[in-house]
Amino acid sequence: MHSCDTRVTHLIAQGEIAVMGVGVYFCTCGGIISQQVDPQRIERLIRDIPEVSYMETMDFMCAEEGKTALEEDLARRQPHRVVIAACSPREHENGFREVLARGTLNPYCMQMANIREQVTWVTPDPEQALTKAVAIIRGAVARVQRHEPLLRESLQVCPDVLVVGAGPAGLKAALGLARGGRTVTLVEKGPVIGGMPVRMNTVFPGLECGSCMVEPMLDDVLHGNHATAITLLTLADIEEVAGYFGNFLVQVTRRPRYVTTDCIGCGECIPVCPAMTANEFNCDMDQRHAIDFPFAGALPNLPFLDMKVCVRSQGIECRKCQEACPVENAIDFSDPQEHLTLHAGAIVLAIGAQQEACSLFPDLGHGRFPGVFDSFEFERLLAHNGPTGGNLRFLHTERPPKSFLMIHCVGSMESNYRDYCSATCCLNAFKFNRQIHDLIPDAQVVHLFREWVAPGKGGHSLLQKGLQSPQTRAIRYSSLDDLRVSRADSHLQVQVHGLAETILTDMVILCPATVPGEDHSRLGKLMEVARDRYGFFAELHNRTDATQTRIRGIYLAGACQSPMDLQQSMSQGMAVSGHVLSELIAGGTMSLEPITAVIEHERCSGCGTCLPLCPFKAIQRQDHGKARINPVLCMGCGTCVAACPGGVIKGNHFTHAAIMAEIEGVLA
Amino acid sequence: MATKPGLAMYWAASCGGCEIALVNLHEKILEVMEFFDFVFCPCLLDVKYQEVEAMADGAIAITLFNGAIRTTENIHMARLLRRKSRLLIAFGSCASEGCIPGLGNLASRQNLMDHIYRDSPTLETGNGPLPATVVDVAEGRLTLPEFLPEVSTLEQVVAVDYFIPGCPPESHQLWNVINSIIQGTPLPDRGAVLGGGRSTVCEECVRKRTEKKIHRLFRTYELIADPETCLLEQGLLCMGIATRDGCGGLCPKVNMPCTGCYGPPEGVLDQGAKMIAALGSMIDIEACREGNLEDWHRQVDAVLAAIPDLAGSLYTYSLAGSILGGKRTQ
Repeated sequence: MHSCDTRVTHLIAQGEIAVMGVGVYFCTCGGIISQQVDPQRIERLIRDIPEVSYMETMDFMCAEEGKTALEEDLARRQPHRVVIAACSPREHENGFREVLARGTLNPYCMQMANIREQVTWVTPDPEQALTKAVAIIRGAVARVQRHEPLLRESLQVCPDVLVVGAGPAGLKAALGLARGGRTVTLVEKGPVIGGMPVRMNTVFPGLECGSCMVEPMLDDVLHGNHATAITLLTLADIEEVAGYFGNFLVQVTRRPRYVTTDCIGCGECIPVCPAMTANEFNCDMDQRHAIDFPFAGALPNLPFLDMKVCVRSQGIECRKCQEACPVENAIDFSDPQEHLTLHAGAIVLAIGAQQEACSLFPDLGHGRFPGVFDSFEFERLLAHNGPTGGNLRFLHTERPPKSFLMIHCVGSMESNYRDYCSATCCLNAFKFNRQIHDLIPDAQVVHLFREWVAPGKGGHSLLQKGLQSPQTRAIRYSSLDDLRVSRADSHLQVQVHGLAETILTDMVILCPATVPGEDHSRLGKLMEVARDRYGFFAELHNRTDATQTRIRGIYLAGACQSPMDLQQSMSQGMAVSGHVLSELIAGGTMSLEPITAVIEHERCSGCGTCLPLCPFKAIQRQDHGKARINPVLCMGCGTCVAACPGGVIKGNHFTHAAIMAEIEGVLA
Repeated sequence: MATKPGLAMYWAASCGGCEIALVNLHEKILEVMEFFDFVFCPCLLDVKYQEVEAMADGAIAITLFNGAIRTTENIHMARLLRRKSRLLIAFGSCASEGCIPGLGNLASRQNLMDHIYRDSPTLETGNGPLPATVVDVAEGRLTLPEFLPEVSTLEQVVAVDYFIPGCPPESHQLWNVINSIIQGTPLPDRGAVLGGGRSTVCEECVRKRTEKKIHRLFRTYELIADPETCLLEQGLLCMGIATRDGCGGLCPKVNMPCTGCYGPPEGVLDQGAKMIAALGSMIDIEACREGNLEDWHRQVDAVLAAIPDLAGSLYTYSLAGSILGGKRTQ
């Protein structure tokens, strides 16, 4: 015998384990288990295990009658510990724990022996099945004696929620949460809310006006029945995040807008402003004043003063805007930068995504030839509040363009760039196709595409209608390396490798990949939210838990986790509000799962091995460098338990003693 | 003469270092002698085995048993001293966990004999004699104890009351144990480790720790370590994180990595496995995070390649008493 065996015995001795009476329940599963493992034969073998007080055979223990029978039997026989030999614990363990809790037994004093999935379903020979079932039950009997009663504790939580990003997903989430009775702070880094759709003249597949579509929601957030529950902070940045689910402390800096909420949004201040700059809201395709709206119709209906552009920043005492303003105190040059500390129980990340920079693809001519636009620039050219007022024309000549060429998949589905499909660009391009023909009916449109991706109810018909138009051509290409855009007189010419003809066109529209925004890295680090290999925020599970990060209490909505369209973003916003409402329970407390890792603090040497390992960031360094596990954040995965070289971290319910006893029981 | 409690110290497969630890009590040994009668100690006293056999069972109060169990003689003495002693203490790493002799479990008895008596490069080639348990000579029959197929710890052979770790145990820790017995301090539950801490060597090491990330490992001759920073973080295979404290962190104090002689910390069943698990979490794979599983394996292998003898480095002291136990040999 190796000394580890006696060490285990010693551990058990320390755990005040006397001789225990274990009650074994054998579920026939309505014959599924019993036709393979004979209950009477197994009973004789199980009863021979010294710690087993009795074995009881039941049908369908998971049914309500089964649970009631179990409850009554437990009350009558009063075992110290219970083994339920039935199906996988993933099926009914929680249900059986509840049955135990209804009586006097601690719900964690039970162990399930999985003799359905692990025996009857995979072991055709009844003799082998019997031997295997006995071994598994022996292991469970040995293990359950080392189970320690665990208590679910409850914790006071802050029910308020912080939403980062006031695009469609963030707005929808904020509104849903406010409707659910929560107080929400909505932090937006820019001066305007609404995200991408308010910058779009139309939205696919129905080509409704984007800003008209989301404006009722924006109005609701700003002035609706639940607006008082939502505090909107524009021009605000998240600086620091501390704490955990139920109790986050967030430091926010609000940059000065210099325009107060007394402003009525009349715009009198704008034309008198002497300072001009390139308007980034129109992709620098026109100019704006230092004090201005980002674009007509931007909400909140307040201009913002860009102090970097304002002549006051050069020491000139200009008050022209203030003088033109009909309202007193609406423009405040002394508006300070504010540092706010917010308390929130949950954080929703809804910071959206951005387009890949087309400068990465110099052969496609973006930035080199005036007629080459990326899709967002083209969006603004089509927009009624864009630089051309919705007239589709070149910026510097009055000549209307007659021919258009769209290059799809610029950076998407390319192993050198992004190997994923950006999901929205095909439909967006065919939205452009329709808009072009609405404005210029005889315009020629060429699509250089790789794959058509047009899912959903309206997607295919939008695509088909475009393709059926005699003025629309589609040419398949295989790699961006095969394309070259150059200038030919007043036109642009596009060469496609392998295509004999050279295509002449007035405008080239590039459809770049959707990529993570510039804040992904910063916020990801700040909140310790993992990012996937593309840099998007990583979901807890990308199919089944897509609105949750691995950090408990930090949720995801919209394109910050993956390219997605308006419908998906809105749905995610709503989903996340439901998710938060169901997890961050109003009423102020939450119940903590006790199967967590626990550090024996006085024995921890502070070596730091565990610190970087926790996928849930539940381990922090404390005084003298010792580690501390936050039971709220710990999900009980056991990574630190396995790694702790000092044997100081215990996995509740999965102690070394229990696991070794189970192994020895199986091998006995 | 009033009888004082009897104290015995025995060496099985050991180097004698544990006896040095006793001698290193210096003048305190006089206090030990004042309280105890030294009844048996082959290193210091000429007391024969037969005299021990003649003692009444339980006559010896405490036996400090050092050395691993390598021969039938070791087993015989372990059983004998168990019978004669009221407290049998596994003293030092060999008796507790096998220590250096325990590394013999990486080879079969035959391999060991062949190497030592025939194949070793320092020997003349040829088929020299191998040791035998029985040899007949003109004067009669000579016998030797049998060399066992495997090294065992004391506990694997007889019941042990307490363990004192270390290679060798630090003298101040030995004194703590003896003194607390002299003072009549109640002993902990049977099976406990005496004369050691409850944490790890890092508890006694003052080096600065920042982040446990290892880009490459070094052997001690390859690097003059920074004297302030955690040795493991510098890439030296310091076993301190997976070793019981109590030694005072002596090796890291002089810029040498801990080799793990105080054995696994409380609750750890396998020191080498624990160390591998911890190392596995430290090897930096950031550079190949984008890559596939094979890239990760290559990176891990590349880092570990710096340690040519993993078993000897991670199980220097603990192999025989570990879950692993040794290498399966035919």
